[in-house]
Amino acid sequence: MNYFAQSFADAIQLILKLDYELYFVVWTSLKISLLSVIIASVLCMPLGLLIASSKFPGKAILQSILNTLMALPTVVVGLLMFGLLGRQGPLGAWGLLYTQTAIVMGQCILIIPIVLNMVISAANTADPRVRSTSIALGADRFQQNLIFINEVRFAMLAAIVAAFGRAIGEVGVAMMLGGNIQGFTRTMTTAIALETSKGEFEFALALGVLLLLVAFIVNVFLEKFQILNK
Amino acid sequence: MTTAAYEIDRLSFKYHDTDIVDIDHYLINEGETLALVGPNGSGKSTLLNLLSFLSVPAAGEVRFFGEIVRQNTQPDFRRRVGYLQQHPYLFNTTVIENIELGLKLRNVNRQLRHARAQNIIEQLNLGMLANKRAHELSGGEIQKVALARALVLEPEVLIFDEPFTYLDKSFASEFEKLLLSIQENRTQTIIFSSHDHLRAQLIADRVCCIHHGKLIEESHVNLFHGKYSREQGIFYTGNINIKISEVPDDVDIIAIEPTQIVLSMTELDSSMRNRFRGEIVALNARNDHIEVTVHTGEKFQVIITRSALDELAVTIGSPVWISFKSSAIRILS
Repeated sequence: MNYFAQSFADAIQLILKLDYELYFVVWTSLKISLLSVIIASVLCMPLGLLIASSKFPGKAILQSILNTLMALPTVVVGLLMFGLLGRQGPLGAWGLLYTQTAIVMGQCILIIPIVLNMVISAANTADPRVRSTSIALGADRFQQNLIFINEVRFAMLAAIVAAFGRAIGEVGVAMMLGGNIQGFTRTMTTAIALETSKGEFEFALALGVLLLLVAFIVNVFLEKFQILNK
Repeated sequence: MTTAAYEIDRLSFKYHDTDIVDIDHYLINEGETLALVGPNGSGKSTLLNLLSFLSVPAAGEVRFFGEIVRQNTQPDFRRRVGYLQQHPYLFNTTVIENIELGLKLRNVNRQLRHARAQNIIEQLNLGMLANKRAHELSGGEIQKVALARALVLEPEVLIFDEPFTYLDKSFASEFEKLLLSIQENRTQTIIFSSHDHLRAQLIADRVCCIHHGKLIEESHVNLFHGKYSREQGIFYTGNINIKISEVPDDVDIIAIEPTQIVLSMTELDSSMRNRFRGEIVALNARNDHIEVTVHTGEKFQVIITRSALDELAVTIGSPVWISFKSSAIRILS
């Protein structure tokens, strides 16, 4: 118990001391996850609205596949991407393995089903009068979509927050595609795994506290946004 | 010469191969107030959707102020029509933002759209609600804001779907006055649908009945759609049999003149061939007469004088008899 309490106190000290190495890892994690979420959102929002509003054969199967992919294990994505981006893989020539770009690519694959699925269900459950009212008011196709997105903004934001939570908390993709290189691809989760195995428990604990803090701040932001917009 | 706001030619709209709207030819004049009257499911809302250019017809042509409306040009024409839906939807934002939205979509500059919104807010007494969010409003307030949102666009045509059915009683008379003031200016064409035939007659320049998607130019109450059996001389509405004199062709739609229906407490021993037992379900005072609605399997509207009502001493729920001659029946199609 003493060991845990002492490590926890040291971890808090590291956080309060604004330890450079600690915060650099936090910054790397935030940068990679935010970029993944932005890319996934830009791709999935229009695509999700399009899928929700159109009828095509295999739509139900697509949604079942998306549901399944929401629970995609991170190491499986890491493994597949490793095979593709590795020297002998079909995309090996790009030289992306063990770079931040590779982690972003892997995280996008991980969170795209989440954002897409949540956007589709937000669009499906929205009041049908949203679209008919905007059409009656004279909105063109683009304006209709903007109005629609604005009406389902809470659900959209929830999708973004869920995707961010998945991206920042995953370890498989970051470890296998980033390689945990210090000062380059070391993220909060990979650092926690490494520092614990090295016996640097207080450093790992400090990162764990900061990871929880990030998740807490994101959720508080979501709640505030909902209250302000009600 | 009066210009036609709408010129409809062989317009049809189908749903699962069934004609919901089927109009051969119809004109709606610029500046007139037209009421579309018909029962539920008669095609009123579908026709209003077609006239608002929200739905694409299966066949036929609509000319809007002389211009042919095609599927690819429908959005341009849509912006010239203000449409108030039966159950309006307000976007999850403030009242003023809802009112200004249509103007914003038309790229009206901020200053002008604010001025126009303020003007309509004052006209409809919405000042107290202007900064409230849509979800804070009551049902009646939502309708009022949706009306303001349609009026602020100053469209050439205003279309209202069942405005009196869902409006607050207090606002219904206010709305009636508003319609009459728009009518006075004669700058906008108004089309509204209603169940209430007499109210429609009171407000509109012209009342048109719609039955099973077909327009019947003359206004009628007690309009029934059904099948005629020549052998039995009976018109079957689906609920009751009405005896009619022999007619040369097939009969689909009939109307019974409400002033020619006799209301009595007991069955009359007379030459009137149609006698139905029913129950009074509504009583409405209209100027110097009373409109009595009797349910006999079908709803009949009977117009009687106040003194006749006093003599009968009936009220809502009273069992009564209605009787009418075959000659009171008009064959419409």
